[in-house]
Amino acid sequence: MDQAEDIKPAQELVLVFQRARKNLRIYPVNNPVYSKTIEDAFTRIDDFLEEYGDLHLTFRQNEILAAGRVVYQSAGAEDNFAFLFFRDGVRELSFRRGLSLEEMRDFLQAISFDFERQPEDEDMVTMLWEKDFEHIKYSVDEKLLLEDETYEERAAARAVGQPAREEDLKRIYGEILKEEAAETLQAEIMPVTKADLLALQKDLERDCMDKLPRFVEILFDLFPGLSPSEYGEIADVINGTFEYCIKTGNLRLAVGILAMAEKKPPAGMEDGGLMTKELERVFEFACSPAVVGMLGDRLDAGETVEDDAFEQYVRRLDKRAVAPFITMLGELKTMEARRKVINALVFLGEKDFQALARGLSDDRWYVARNIIYIFRQIGDRQAIDFLAGAVHHRDERVRMEALKALGELDSQGMISVMTEALDDPEAAVRMTAVRALGRMKSASSKRAILERIGGKAFLDLDFNEKKQYFEALANWNDPGTEEFLLKALKSGSFFKKGRWDELRACAAYSLGLMGCGGAREQLEKLKDSKNRLLREYAYRAVKRIEHGR
Amino acid sequence: MDGSLGKGRTGRDLVGLLAVIVRTSQIHDPRNVAVYSAVEKFVSGVNAFMLEESAIEMEVVGEYFYLNGERVKFTTEHLLNFDFLQREFKRRRLGSVKFLCDVRPEDVQAFLGAFISSQFAAEPFEDLQEKTEKLKCIAVGAPRRIAEGPGKNGPSDGPEDIRKAVKHTYFNAVSFTMGVMNKIKAGERISMRKAKRVVERMVDALLESEELILGMTVIKNYDEYTFHHSVNVSILSVALGQRLGMAKKTLMELGMVALFHDIGKTVIPSEILNKPGAFDEEEWKLMVRHPLFGVKIIFNMKSFDFTSIRAAIASYEHHIHPDGSGYPAAKRLAELDLFSRIVAIADQYDAMTSSRVYARAPLPPDGALALMVKRSGPQLDPLLMKFFVNLAGVYPIGTLVMLDTRELGVVTGTNAAERLRPSVTVITDANGNRSAPMVVDLAEKNGAGGYLRSIARTVDHNKHGINLAQYFL
Repeated sequence: MDQAEDIKPAQELVLVFQRARKNLRIYPVNNPVYSKTIEDAFTRIDDFLEEYGDLHLTFRQNEILAAGRVVYQSAGAEDNFAFLFFRDGVRELSFRRGLSLEEMRDFLQAISFDFERQPEDEDMVTMLWEKDFEHIKYSVDEKLLLEDETYEERAAARAVGQPAREEDLKRIYGEILKEEAAETLQAEIMPVTKADLLALQKDLERDCMDKLPRFVEILFDLFPGLSPSEYGEIADVINGTFEYCIKTGNLRLAVGILAMAEKKPPAGMEDGGLMTKELERVFEFACSPAVVGMLGDRLDAGETVEDDAFEQYVRRLDKRAVAPFITMLGELKTMEARRKVINALVFLGEKDFQALARGLSDDRWYVARNIIYIFRQIGDRQAIDFLAGAVHHRDERVRMEALKALGELDSQGMISVMTEALDDPEAAVRMTAVRALGRMKSASSKRAILERIGGKAFLDLDFNEKKQYFEALANWNDPGTEEFLLKALKSGSFFKKGRWDELRACAAYSLGLMGCGGAREQLEKLKDSKNRLLREYAYRAVKRIEHGR
Repeated sequence: MDGSLGKGRTGRDLVGLLAVIVRTSQIHDPRNVAVYSAVEKFVSGVNAFMLEESAIEMEVVGEYFYLNGERVKFTTEHLLNFDFLQREFKRRRLGSVKFLCDVRPEDVQAFLGAFISSQFAAEPFEDLQEKTEKLKCIAVGAPRRIAEGPGKNGPSDGPEDIRKAVKHTYFNAVSFTMGVMNKIKAGERISMRKAKRVVERMVDALLESEELILGMTVIKNYDEYTFHHSVNVSILSVALGQRLGMAKKTLMELGMVALFHDIGKTVIPSEILNKPGAFDEEEWKLMVRHPLFGVKIIFNMKSFDFTSIRAAIASYEHHIHPDGSGYPAAKRLAELDLFSRIVAIADQYDAMTSSRVYARAPLPPDGALALMVKRSGPQLDPLLMKFFVNLAGVYPIGTLVMLDTRELGVVTGTNAAERLRPSVTVITDANGNRSAPMVVDLAEKNGAGGYLRSIARTVDHNKHGINLAQYFL
């Protein structure tokens, strides 16, 4: 075998590790590629160890060597696999026979860790150390740990000091001999029992529980012992804790922090007002765009956010959170996340309609539509004033939502705006406007509908649009409407006969919806009409009237 | 054998099984049916292992079992068996048991017979060795000296190298702590990455050479008390955590938390901190606020994570007692965190044995330990104290002792099997003349079965101004 062939297997293995590192950084743990990468790497190293025995790698700044021969080389620091180990002090790495799949997984996960994101806290050596491998050994150059190279020598010399002179030692010895054996206490060794171990196990189990709640308790307990000048510092730590809770999805504790921050200072506490003022910053922080944005990131990433915890959290916030929540609403990508935020804004929006309404001018049509939807859910007539403009929004979906809202909020003062919408270029918007007017059931909204039906252009409208007008009329269900419909049922002309039959079918439909018994006879006759549409709608209307609907 | 189990777990099982058959054989004859089924399990465990290895060596080094050179990891549930077997090994001065080929139940029964009877022999190891010589597949070995380290593939470091490495680890930790505290005072950021690496080395030193690193805590430095104290508390805490069966990563977290427990003292002016006399009321008021300062500092020096939360809790709680007394005054009687309770014990022990604690006269190690036992319950966690006493022994490392031979010595090693018979470095002869330091094992017997040396009484080295540091460096 020539020299190049000789080192090929080790070279290939280093490549396998490199590729595995890339894959593990790209794919999430639950992706099949992730586990396959680990399994493949394990198979490759297992085969290697079986055939060639233990693998020893030596690391230099830009090179990796196996058996003294270069198996990897990189020109610079960029994407330098050797440097990844070298910079933290790893100088040698050995893989021994007996290596398990679990160890391979741990190793690859360790080398795939994103050290750039947490450069101050983690390094390769710590990651490897924590894994406590049995079949992977490494040696480290610990020079980087040295704070002061000469300290050890100086400190050791100082600790030892000058040895006692022979005569002094002898004198001390004499004194010791002379002294009475003092009545000294002596600890008794108590053997560890099974009951002790059981108690210890329980203690260790309890120790696995979350430490944050206790820490939060401590933070709030600190206040009485602090000087007022320190309140701000602790409030900062509380804010840091709050941020950590949000980042890690611990909303329950975040709620707990807000609850504690809301409490009054202990009775008799000096500068209690100052403490309250500092703790107010926690609320300010909780409502800030930064914190709300973090929450949004979690929601969008599909991380578990319990509904009730989220609701409790939102209930603790105030109107300052409205604008950040609207921003978040525009940025969320998932339906589920948006649903949660919309629910939150339904609660928060009530506290500040103005702030909520500012969302209507958002460039993104869906934000504006969701804001109107939120207004609808709040159901407060204060929203009406903000909706007029939305009826003229450039996006038809927003216009429709605004019309729905106006209808639901019984916006009598907006009838003219809504009537204008009956001429909207989009049929869906026009029909929404009709429905909204119908929903209002006022004399003026009826007048608006009847005027349109009586208009010249009405006959030429699409059947469905005509039908929508008559469906809206059914909301009134009064003698005047019945009379109008009966008249429409009989209407007709030689010209445009088909269009007139459509109108009669719509009238039949409306009378059916109203359950108008007085129209039955006329409708029965129409069941034999030559026009299929009229026949069908008359038949359905009779059925409805029969069933009392 | 399921290869995926790994040697660690198989080793743990084997040690556990050996403990079971030894324990059962102490009650029943090894050929009794009650022992037999356990023996069969052990045999199948050994032979399964032999499918992959040409021989098995189960060795006790320091406080640990090693299987073919690999330390056997254990958790709390194995603590009782491991502790029992270790004592049985040490009682016989047995270092290792080797399985050289596939074993049969009758081989193991013969070994157990020899093992049980050897405990009554004047020279138990020699007796056991003689009785097992005929066994083809089972052999016994004498204990290695701790400093030699467990059997490794490749050249192992000599005792002096290990001592040097431990010393280096200790002083580097002190120097690092000094640097950290100075940087905090100067308002600079510190590297937690480095802190972790420093503590990792201490944990390694403890797992590999427990007595040597514990010996380092005997070194007290008046001028650099806070730095030495922080490192000592970290070492003692990790040692206690290890006795509780904590995993390596948890030990590192505990070591970090303990290292920073007094970080709040960096805020206290050095003229108060190093005041030779007692504190006045104002000074004391400031001193008792160091746990509060610690919480603030920990969060100013690094971002939030699990370790920093624990460090802040321990910083706050390490002077609060289980009964709610101590300081800062607890607003409610909450259960103290496990790390806080461990650190409190380590902190008290090191503080009591040091000469720089608020002008209090230092106690000798055995006296400090005894006083702490008295305080356990209301002031210190009694269960953890039990483990701590078992760790330190009746005569903790660093105790000056007068032997019945009238030689003066200092305890430099513990003996898990016979707590009253630790290893002692003799420093004077029977006439008080300085002698070249010589390590003696007080469990050593003469030909007639009597002990060669015993402790006559302990001596307060502080009272007599004897500096013990030289015997640990």
